[in-house]
Amino acid sequence: MGIFAANSERLRMPVATPQLLHLLTIVLPALPFAGFLALAVASRRIAGILAIALTGIGLILSIGLALSLSKQPITLLANWAILSGVSFPISLRVDALAAMMLILVHFVALLVQIYSISYLHDEPKLRRYFAYLQLFIGSMLGIVMAGNLLVMYAFWELVGLASYLLIGFYAERQAASKAAMKAFLMNRVGDIGFLLGIFLTYYYFHTLDFEILSLKGASAIAPTVLGLCLFMGCVGKSAQFPLLTWLPDAMEGPTPVSALLHAATMVAAGIFLLARIHPLLSPDALVVIALIGTITAVWGGYSALFQMDIKKVLAFSTVSQLGLMVAAMGTGNVSGAMFHLLTHAFFKAGLFLSVGAVIHAVHTQDMRHMGGLRKTLSTTFIGYTICSAALAGLPFLSGFLSKEVILGEAFAWASDQRSKLAYFVPVLLLLSSGLTALYMARQWRLIFFGDYRNKDIPLTQAHEPDWFMRGPVILLAIFSIGLWFSINPLSAHGSWFFQILPITEEASFWWLAPISIGLVLVGGWVGFRMPEPHTNSVFVQISISYGFLDVVYKYIVISPTHRLASLLSRADRRVIDGLVNGAGISTVVLAHLTRVVDRLGVDGLVNGIAWLAGRLGRMTRSVQNGQVQSYITAAVVGLLLVLWWIL
Amino acid sequence: MILSLLIFIPLLGSLVVALLPASQSVGFRWIALLITLVEVVLAGAAYIIFDTTITGYQLLEQANWITLPLGRLGIASIDYLVGVDGISLPLVVLSAVVMLIGVVSSWPLTHRTKAYYSLYLLLTGTIMGCFVALDFFLFFLFFEFMLLPMYFLIGLWGGPRREYASIKFFLYTLLGSLLILLVMIGLYLSVMDPVSTAVAAGLVADPSAVTTDIVHTLQRYMQNGQLDSAQIVHTFDMRYLSDGSNYLPDAFLNPAAEPIILGLPARMLAFWAVFIGFAIKLPIVPLHTWLPDAHVEAPTPVSVVLAGVLLKIGGYGFLRIAWDFFPDGAAEYARILGGLGVLSIVYGGLNALAQTDLKKMIAYSSVSHMGFVLLGIVSLTAEGINGAIYQMVSHGVLSAMLFLIVGVLYDRTHDRRIDSYRGLMQPMPRYTTLTVIAFFASLGLPGFSGFVGELFTLMGGFQSDWLPGWMTAIATLGILLGAAYFLWTLQRMFFGSTWVRPFEPQAGSTSVLSDLNAREKLMLIPLGLMALLLGIFPNLIFNLTSTTVAQWLVKFSVE
Repeated sequence: MGIFAANSERLRMPVATPQLLHLLTIVLPALPFAGFLALAVASRRIAGILAIALTGIGLILSIGLALSLSKQPITLLANWAILSGVSFPISLRVDALAAMMLILVHFVALLVQIYSISYLHDEPKLRRYFAYLQLFIGSMLGIVMAGNLLVMYAFWELVGLASYLLIGFYAERQAASKAAMKAFLMNRVGDIGFLLGIFLTYYYFHTLDFEILSLKGASAIAPTVLGLCLFMGCVGKSAQFPLLTWLPDAMEGPTPVSALLHAATMVAAGIFLLARIHPLLSPDALVVIALIGTITAVWGGYSALFQMDIKKVLAFSTVSQLGLMVAAMGTGNVSGAMFHLLTHAFFKAGLFLSVGAVIHAVHTQDMRHMGGLRKTLSTTFIGYTICSAALAGLPFLSGFLSKEVILGEAFAWASDQRSKLAYFVPVLLLLSSGLTALYMARQWRLIFFGDYRNKDIPLTQAHEPDWFMRGPVILLAIFSIGLWFSINPLSAHGSWFFQILPITEEASFWWLAPISIGLVLVGGWVGFRMPEPHTNSVFVQISISYGFLDVVYKYIVISPTHRLASLLSRADRRVIDGLVNGAGISTVVLAHLTRVVDRLGVDGLVNGIAWLAGRLGRMTRSVQNGQVQSYITAAVVGLLLVLWWIL
Repeated sequence: MILSLLIFIPLLGSLVVALLPASQSVGFRWIALLITLVEVVLAGAAYIIFDTTITGYQLLEQANWITLPLGRLGIASIDYLVGVDGISLPLVVLSAVVMLIGVVSSWPLTHRTKAYYSLYLLLTGTIMGCFVALDFFLFFLFFEFMLLPMYFLIGLWGGPRREYASIKFFLYTLLGSLLILLVMIGLYLSVMDPVSTAVAAGLVADPSAVTTDIVHTLQRYMQNGQLDSAQIVHTFDMRYLSDGSNYLPDAFLNPAAEPIILGLPARMLAFWAVFIGFAIKLPIVPLHTWLPDAHVEAPTPVSVVLAGVLLKIGGYGFLRIAWDFFPDGAAEYARILGGLGVLSIVYGGLNALAQTDLKKMIAYSSVSHMGFVLLGIVSLTAEGINGAIYQMVSHGVLSAMLFLIVGVLYDRTHDRRIDSYRGLMQPMPRYTTLTVIAFFASLGLPGFSGFVGELFTLMGGFQSDWLPGWMTAIATLGILLGAAYFLWTLQRMFFGSTWVRPFEPQAGSTSVLSDLNAREKLMLIPLGLMALLLGIFPNLIFNLTSTTVAQWLVKFSVE
């Protein structure tokens, strides 16, 4: 596939030669794709083991890669398309950011697959399930390792395909296949923007390579529209306002898939894209991004408040947290956003997997039919509690640390802006983290406290799952503890993470931690004590239908498109085709008139045409309305001959 | 030799089939299979022999066919001249492959096989002729002759409204050919063959002694009116037609003369005439309405050939004739032409969304995908033109696959309505898998060829100095619409719980929804693999096109 060009500095670890590192860079994304193909022929019995082994190997390799990474990123280039001298190469790139994502993706994917062995034990399409997961992982690795925008876009679309296949995994269910389609199409809307952004980038900078772009982007400010177009890709993939409605529907997929989709793959891709293209974002574009992120954080938080589906609460909490990350990107805080992406991946995966255990036990997703499960599902209860506390942002847990970094930087950013209105961003973000505590506490209460409310399945039948499912939850809960990330439980400044991805300016406000802890405690208290409001209430309806966004889409996008399509289709048949047929008929009429005139008039010419018409008429006698048509044919062919004669 | 073999082996085969007794009904398909296999081998050989580093035509074969002194009107000369360059060779290879698949797809046909295969082979030969002919007259001959077998293939083996569809197809294309014919004659009267003229004027003894210096001298003489008009050899040779210096000073298609006809400069009018002629073939909205009818009525193999190969002659004609002979027209009207391309993309996509017949849906998706070809060509950029040729090849492979997929279902139930099926996934899992692959490849999933074609035509449109950015931005809606109609169809027909509208098992239809048989897999899997191969290694095509396109674009870079 062409010659690999390479450049990388001397390496710290003597064991890993540059050649070995390049090999690793190719092998890492190739493994899951090989797995995807292998699973098509592997036997059902070994499907899970094969998938886990591949991802396990990938995890070890990516840790090795990360450890031997020097300051200089590893880059690989190969020819892909050369059009009359214009070259579009495939390029892979591993730097600190990518290496971190590699480990994260592999780690979460490994746990999810171990969990799936037990969760989907009786699934008849098991091979297919693991094959799709491998495709998903491989595509995500491709995004992470992409060295230019085109490669990223290619894998970006493949992530779309993998999510389509996994969300629609139970395709015999109408809802699942619809949700899959919705996810893909909504993502496509964003992808169109992304693609236009790529074209604009190429137009302005004549390159799509991240390395060169970050140099050029630093020296010249790219047009705002370019940044916003690229950002649209993130709006679709990371479920930002207004393209967020596919994410709750995506819950139709198997629950472990939701864990993967919400933690390390898919939605993380949009955030990662922003990190890569950050140098190309103009100040105006950044303001828009901060605003969209803030709106999404609040919108998602409010929508999570009154959901009754156990997974939908988590889905909207993901939307809200992604909004937080995007807002952080908008305030120029790339490292903070990536840090929250990392911490969020652990506790959100942990939450989905514990929720999966709950569903596994009570066979329902409706929280009205749960309650009082803390004794029966004790391990799950502990895992869930730690993870949700981390999500809510309680001190000593990872979520607190990353939120502090984002909020602190956001306040610092707001104070730098000319308009005081900029304070809306950090204030709303702070409120949304209070909302997080509220809905998580509510969910905690509905699942684990109060009386058991399921009449179909007695509590005695509900039981803890096996260790394939409990193990990953515990591990993820352990990784949600703040100590892993920072020695100081109240601040992440000085964390190892910011050694790798340095933060631009360190902002810390003494009042921020107490205020946010206070908000979280108040939110948690309200959420835990709050009586369930009546579902007819407008506020509840707005929350459950996530601001009626889908209704709006139905009436202003989908229906008009269908109406326009069928209108055009009718016009196509009646007007355009009508004109064609009309032209045909008038020619025939004209031909008849000519014939009448000719019969009365010049005889010699008549004979000629009659002879021609006769010949052609015989040729097309079998034709339905051959009479009529043959005259047209005769007329045209005759005309041709006459012209030929004259010229 | 290869190119002549490509043309004449199938023509000879057609004759052989026609002469054999009709009782040999089973043997005909074997003859057709053998001949189309030979065609693939020959086209493959041409692909290998072709030198991708040099410009100009290769594998040239030339023979004097007709020479006629016409006194004051000069000397008429028509040659048998064939050759390929980076624009035509990919299409030749594509045609060979699609024609082979078409034979496999015709395998179960039992009705009047002798006539069918004779016409099919005639079609194969004329299509090849069309792509390799470098004498305009020869090209036109093949172009016209292609109509005849196509007309009968639709008219005799088609669906219920086959007569209407075939007549419509015939007349539409004939109208287009008429316009092309007019321009062809105009060009013929306006252009001299500098090599033969040099010989006729006595400047050199034989054609091999003619050098570029002599050609330039001659051209100067001619522009100054120093040549005796009786000595001027008129030509249909496309190599001379595309060179402005060969136009006679007083000729009405001379770029410098510019006489006005019907309020337009003659050359602009001529450009529009050839454009419309080939736009009908591509087809471009609003000249497309023959296509859905022809597709719906045509039997599966004919649909495959129609979408896979015949439409490409439109795009080929743009590049080889309309744009190359009339670069001034193409540049002048770039915006309007780009607009037509975008219109085709969006209009075709919206129409596809509204169709209730699966085959019609795919026919309209062809209209949309061919719009990308026009957009790429109009952009006049390296990305756009290479992308347009690539898109033609890619669409040839993918549309063949899509129409075969419709055929599989139609063979079983004789019902193509989308709402007659739900949840086909359960009874036909392999069929579903291949459909998903074909649909995703067509909606532009990276890794498959559809993505590359759309990417580079759109990128070309965006980089173009001739087109405004918003135009291409609208065109990108086409890839959203593509995803919408393909995925919606998948969701309605293949997913959910299984239900099929009760159908009467007819003669020749399988009464149950059985999964793919070996023959069907033999057609679909190689096409899917080709789309994948081209998508991952697009240089397989771009290697061929790059040099030719770079040379082709020189004409447009002056301005």
